[in-house]
Amino acid sequence: MAPQFFTPGIQDNTPHQGYPQQAGGPQQGYPGQQPQQQPLPPQQGGWQGQPPLQQGGGMDQMANQFQQMNMGQQPPNQAYGNQKQMHSMQTVNLIGMQPDVRGLEAPPPPFLIPQNAAVTQSPHSQPDPSYQRCTITSMPTTQSLLNKSKLPLALVIAPYRSIRPSDGDMEVPVVEDSVIARCRRCRAYINPFVTFIEGGNRWKCCMCGLSNEVPQLFDWDQREGKPADRWSRKELNHAVVEFIAPTEYMVRPPQPPVYAFCIDVSQQAIQSGMVATAARTILESLDTIPNADKRTKVAIIAVSSSLHFFSLTPGATEASMLVVSDLTDVFLPKPSDILVNLDESRAALESLLGRLSDMFADSHVVGTAMGSALTAAHQLIGKYGGKIIALTASLPTIGEGALKARDDPKLLGTNKESTLLNAANSFYKSFAIECSKQQVTVDMFLFSSSYTDVASLSCLPRYTAGQTYLYPGFNASKPEDAIKFATEFGKLLAMPIGLEAVIRVRATRGIRLSAFHGNFFTRSTDLLALPTVSQDQNYVIELQLEDDLKGPFVVIQTAVLHTTCYGERRIRVITHAMPVTDSIAELYASADQVAIMTYLTNKAVEKAMSSSLEDGRNLVTNNLSTMLTVYKNQVTSAAGASAQLAVPDNLKLLPLLACGLVKHVGLREGTNMSPDLRAYAHCLLTTLPSDSLVSYIHPRFYCLHNMPAEAGTIGEHGVILPPALNLTSERLERHGLFLIEDGQQMFLWVGHEAVPRLIQDVFDLPSYAELQGGKYTLPELDNPFSQRVNAIVAKTRELRRGIYRPHLYVVKSDAEPALRSWALSLLVEDRMDKMSSYAQYLTTVKNKVNGS
Amino acid sequence: MNGNFEDVEDRDGVRFSWNAWPSSRIEATRTVVPISALYTPLKERPDLPPVMYEPVTCKGSCKAILNPYCQIDVRGKMWICPFCLQRNPFPPHYKDITATNLPAELLPKYTTIEYTLSRGAQIPPIFLYVVDTCVDEDELKALRDTLVVSLSLLPPNALVGLITYGTMTMVHELAYADCPKSYVFRGSKDYQPKQIADMLGLNPSSRPMQAPRPGQPIPAPAASKFLMPVQACEFQLTNILEGLQRDPWPVEQDKRPLRCTGVALAVAVSLLEAAFPNTGARIMLFAGGPATDGPGLVVGPELREPIRSHHDIDRDSVKHFKRATKYYETLSKRASVNGHAIDVYAGCLDQVGLLEMKSLTNATNGFMIISDSFMTAIFKQSFLRTLGKDEQEFLKMGFNGTFEVLTTKELKISGVIGHVISANKKSSCVGETEIGIGQTSAWKVCSLTPKTSLATYFEVVTPAGQPVGPNQSGLIQFVTHYQHSSGQYRLRVTTVARTFHEGGHPAIAQSFDQEAAAVLMARIAVFKAEIDDSPDVLRWLDRMLIRLCQKFAEYRKEDPGSFQLGPNFSIYPQFMFHLRRSQFLQVFNNSPDETAFYRHVLNDADVNNSLIMIQPTLMSYTFDTDPHPVLLDSVSIRPDVILLLDTFFHILIFHGETVAQWRKANYHEQEGYENFKELLENPIADAQELLEDRLPIPRYIVCDQGGSQARFLLSKLNPSTTHMSGNSYGAAGGGGGQAIFTDDVSLQVFMEHLKRLAVGASTS
Ligand SMILES: [Zn+2]
Ligand SMILES: [Zn+2]
Repeated sequence: MAPQFFTPGIQDNTPHQGYPQQAGGPQQGYPGQQPQQQPLPPQQGGWQGQPPLQQGGGMDQMANQFQQMNMGQQPPNQAYGNQKQMHSMQTVNLIGMQPDVRGLEAPPPPFLIPQNAAVTQSPHSQPDPSYQRCTITSMPTTQSLLNKSKLPLALVIAPYRSIRPSDGDMEVPVVEDSVIARCRRCRAYINPFVTFIEGGNRWKCCMCGLSNEVPQLFDWDQREGKPADRWSRKELNHAVVEFIAPTEYMVRPPQPPVYAFCIDVSQQAIQSGMVATAARTILESLDTIPNADKRTKVAIIAVSSSLHFFSLTPGATEASMLVVSDLTDVFLPKPSDILVNLDESRAALESLLGRLSDMFADSHVVGTAMGSALTAAHQLIGKYGGKIIALTASLPTIGEGALKARDDPKLLGTNKESTLLNAANSFYKSFAIECSKQQVTVDMFLFSSSYTDVASLSCLPRYTAGQTYLYPGFNASKPEDAIKFATEFGKLLAMPIGLEAVIRVRATRGIRLSAFHGNFFTRSTDLLALPTVSQDQNYVIELQLEDDLKGPFVVIQTAVLHTTCYGERRIRVITHAMPVTDSIAELYASADQVAIMTYLTNKAVEKAMSSSLEDGRNLVTNNLSTMLTVYKNQVTSAAGASAQLAVPDNLKLLPLLACGLVKHVGLREGTNMSPDLRAYAHCLLTTLPSDSLVSYIHPRFYCLHNMPAEAGTIGEHGVILPPALNLTSERLERHGLFLIEDGQQMFLWVGHEAVPRLIQDVFDLPSYAELQGGKYTLPELDNPFSQRVNAIVAKTRELRRGIYRPHLYVVKSDAEPALRSWALSLLVEDRMDKMSSYAQYLTTVKNKVNGS
Repeated sequence: MNGNFEDVEDRDGVRFSWNAWPSSRIEATRTVVPISALYTPLKERPDLPPVMYEPVTCKGSCKAILNPYCQIDVRGKMWICPFCLQRNPFPPHYKDITATNLPAELLPKYTTIEYTLSRGAQIPPIFLYVVDTCVDEDELKALRDTLVVSLSLLPPNALVGLITYGTMTMVHELAYADCPKSYVFRGSKDYQPKQIADMLGLNPSSRPMQAPRPGQPIPAPAASKFLMPVQACEFQLTNILEGLQRDPWPVEQDKRPLRCTGVALAVAVSLLEAAFPNTGARIMLFAGGPATDGPGLVVGPELREPIRSHHDIDRDSVKHFKRATKYYETLSKRASVNGHAIDVYAGCLDQVGLLEMKSLTNATNGFMIISDSFMTAIFKQSFLRTLGKDEQEFLKMGFNGTFEVLTTKELKISGVIGHVISANKKSSCVGETEIGIGQTSAWKVCSLTPKTSLATYFEVVTPAGQPVGPNQSGLIQFVTHYQHSSGQYRLRVTTVARTFHEGGHPAIAQSFDQEAAAVLMARIAVFKAEIDDSPDVLRWLDRMLIRLCQKFAEYRKEDPGSFQLGPNFSIYPQFMFHLRRSQFLQVFNNSPDETAFYRHVLNDADVNNSLIMIQPTLMSYTFDTDPHPVLLDSVSIRPDVILLLDTFFHILIFHGETVAQWRKANYHEQEGYENFKELLENPIADAQELLEDRLPIPRYIVCDQGGSQARFLLSKLNPSTTHMSGNSYGAAGGGGGQAIFTDDVSLQVFMEHLKRLAVGASTS
């Protein structure tokens, strides 16, 4: 008879009902349950006085500003508050502490700008960090101070992040009257941080200080034809705002959304079911592809060892196929009807998509001429710009940009491994740049069951503002594979895209942009070209100070000029203001650990590719150690070696994130990592928005068999998730059910002593022995536990922005070693192979900080 | 004598210039016109017995075929080869042979015989359509309709394929069920044959290997998706043809459409070359205009650049001519080596570049048909007529032929003039002198019709001072191996013997077939002209004529009045006169394309048709007399006659002034003028008869005296009454005839000159 345990640490006095102990008697949770959580270590040092999670801390600050705002009246010029607001400084020791992973969700330290810096009292004058954040929320006055602090200074932006009303996201306010006030000198857009002078007739630029005329119609309501209240103008109230641009902002009339699909139809592609699934998904997406004004154009190119174009004559009910086998000198076989208006050629398109896979059912071709197909697609849509969506299940071994299987296992783990993480030949970069020039984005969907050279292929999305999607070993006969791909592809197709975009960041004079990270092409020194701008991509821009900053605060403004997919030229402007400080302590107190991590991730991947994986990992650890060294020596003034590792409270999870990053697939030490998986991880690491990136580096871990009563039920903000656990296998219990997820995959860990009742309730199977691990679709069963688990899985899948639908793998704790170790590799606090545990990692960092 | 020649022609399909041969080399050269024969290998012989066994061949090196001229020893079951004197045993199954029980090939009446060989062709005949889509909508429609009709005329098992071209070349896949599918080639690119085969997936390495199974037909090659039995793909192909659209690429105002004829042909040639080498096939090109892009470009796309004329070529001021010609020659060579014929059907008011492309048809004996439009009857009927059938419903068309000539030792082969290429066979029959395509005793002739006639030239080879003994015979054996439209291989064997006579023997002069000789000399002249269109050819013709007359006419030296030619030489000078004036040698009144066309037709024609081309026939119709031939002379034009001119290429009805007036006044529709009605109808009926089986269909012209169309007639007439000559000459009745505005000499003047030169009198 199993001993009965009390479950400590959880204030759950009403544990799950209805799981009677096998032996009878009162039961809490599942039988055989081990003490689920170590009691928290005695609180000491920095743990005391830990501020409450910063929910609304920023709001309070803003509320203060409102109170001091003179409604409708120009604040006096010199009237910026003199009182320096400082972030509270808390030092925390990490050694021996279990990190509180819930802190990862906390917002960054607020921008503590002077109380009357904004011209209105709007609560929205600073952007949500999901749009724009900064590694430090206070700006050092000088570059030497910044250098001394060793803190990175970088802007983290996702200007076109999706709007999710379910998360309470606000639509971006639109300035519809085409009155766009911009500084004559620095071209900054008017924003909540300018000042009005000369009785409101002029405004003073917050970037360069120039006095500008207020536009004539600025205070005029054009729709109503009467004077309007200036202070209600959206651009003075909102940090994130969109202007409808007049024609001067257009180089040419707005282009229609254009989608050219290059679909691999080689034997492997057909047999894996990729082609059928892709064609069906496109077919089903024909009504959701952005096409509001019926201008959208579509083309389909099927590629094996030849290019197969389809002539889709408007009004025809059938396509006709044109095969071009001239792969080195690609040309379009017809001047028209290949790129067609979606509506006009709908019938032929539907007929084609319905039989595309069957058309190539007899294909014996191995490999594809994808490079040539892309060239053709580029010729086809170059005049409009738009998206090329390439789907391939095989390595492009033929034609332009042909690749070889170069994944020599002997290179893995050596310094030469990084060559496998870069493009194999120059085609991919030079073609990508050609695409960028012609406003063409490439998205890559990769399905190979063997080496596909993700590193080379992902170059195209990288420089064209696209994205790479990887489905290793895709097989549509597995419903999970088919659903995942169809869902993600369908979402991508339905996604509103911005066309012909450029991003320019402007900042208060003295601040200079020095480096850029993300998927785009840097056209001139500070202009980021994005042929199309996808939702939910992240960009990191490094900043430097070329002049000392004089004012009390600085303003940084991101402007995305783009054409909406319904033909409007728009400018999305995101502006934030941040205080200036000459205090290293304040810099540390204002540091944003998530933004720093995002920055470090980009730098580490860049290093891994340009130098070696080891250098990439070292970059992370060294940066972290250097920061903490400065912090220890300059801020806490503790001299000499210490048994403690002191960090500011707001950075206390940075070492955990760093530990997760160096152990991540993208950087992990080892000789058995597939170059494709690494390269794919690099794509995600450098593009995921910060919140997704955090879970990608530091997965979430839940105990399901013994969760609070409300977990898995609907609460105020939707499904309530269980409390996140620390990522250590110590939490795994032999009889338990756990979920580990990183936003890309979910592992449902089933302990081998799980009781039949649990197996029955969740999987509808009689016993653990009957359970098959692997990709899984959970049944939805008529019992509360099944419903709750399903609700948690479903919630997890939609937790983050982006189109990803993570696979759910069932992992049996005593079977499938590969799957098991994959799942366990996500538990980053554990020691894994040669890689240190979190505790060991902290010791390493501490030793560096101590200078030993 | 004439009748005799035609009897021989009927039996053996052969007309010799000389039917008795000088017995020494030196004597032979003195007869001026070489010993030569116009041979029609597939001459229709419904009377021939089917011979369903293999021919018996000489075991010696000559490989001659048993024939009625062989000595046989029925008791010893032996035969002696007359070509190499080898004694050959009869094969075992000839054991029952006796002097009265002889196989057909030994019967004197079967000097021509056709064997049906037991091994049939593995692959039925192949027809690959290559269709220009850079044409107007109504042209395309007419062409589509005609092509669809043509499908029904092909043998049901024939393989068909379709290539269309314009700015690009498209090879249509016929076996693809899901949707129309075609393989596209860039029109501006010079693809290598291997590239083309690879791009069409024909390269064996790129498809799974299939173990060949014995007894099975060759496994369906990759090309079977492009070339399918017409019975299996007629529906699909008809659909494709009916759905054929004009070339979709935009054409600027000042430009010609981009038309990649060169690439289309390269793809067609490569497709057949890769998939079906050395088997009967024809590529049928339907060109609506000149190649303006890519290799084989004939004229640039800029409209301000005119297509070349004879003058341009003469002045050597042509940009593309040489390169294009060379390009098509290379293609022709590849096609002909594989036994593939190429037909060119031009449907265009302007030229399409036939001059550059002529090697395609000339090396492969393809059809060359020229028409103003695909909507014309000339195109439509000519094309469909090429697919005419015999009584057994087989196409009157042989494929992938080899023509071989054997001679006894005193005679050697100088060469062949016709649409053949050398098969490079160096046998002992090959002579040193080369006339036409020589240095071989075998030729490939990729396509054969019952009319196809090859001019073969010989020389007598005897050691100096050792003439062939009197009354000794020489033998020639023509052996033609070809793929019959039924899928059988057939072997047509004609063996002819002629007697040698010592020089000056009257039998030689009496054996002269002036008609055949004129045609055989015309072929040489045209062959020379093809190499170099210069006055030298005319001078050569004149010289030969004078020498012939000097040798065979009766005259007193320096007395032109005494000049007299025997009956079988009498009209030969007239043929030469007309040949000199003909479009075959006088190119400047025609476009280069027309010249190429006329010469092409001449080089395939038999004696009769050739003569019509050289010297058109003219019939006169009037009241009270039966229709009768009249002189091809301006004197034949009279106000009260109707003339029917047949130039082979044109059939023209010409109404004399008075007749024309009556016709305009509609007398023929009034009662009491039935005789006039009949007069009008007679030449029409006769013209229809001429049109009956002519290929290409002639241009049919009805005109009145004084009308603009009448120039076609006038240009052919002997200008005996010119604006220069007044009415002083030849008009027997006086006052007749019509003055022709020309500087050409008349036949009469020509004859005067000839007589003078022949007799050695000084020319005035
Ligand atoms: Zn400014
Ligand atoms: Zn012999």
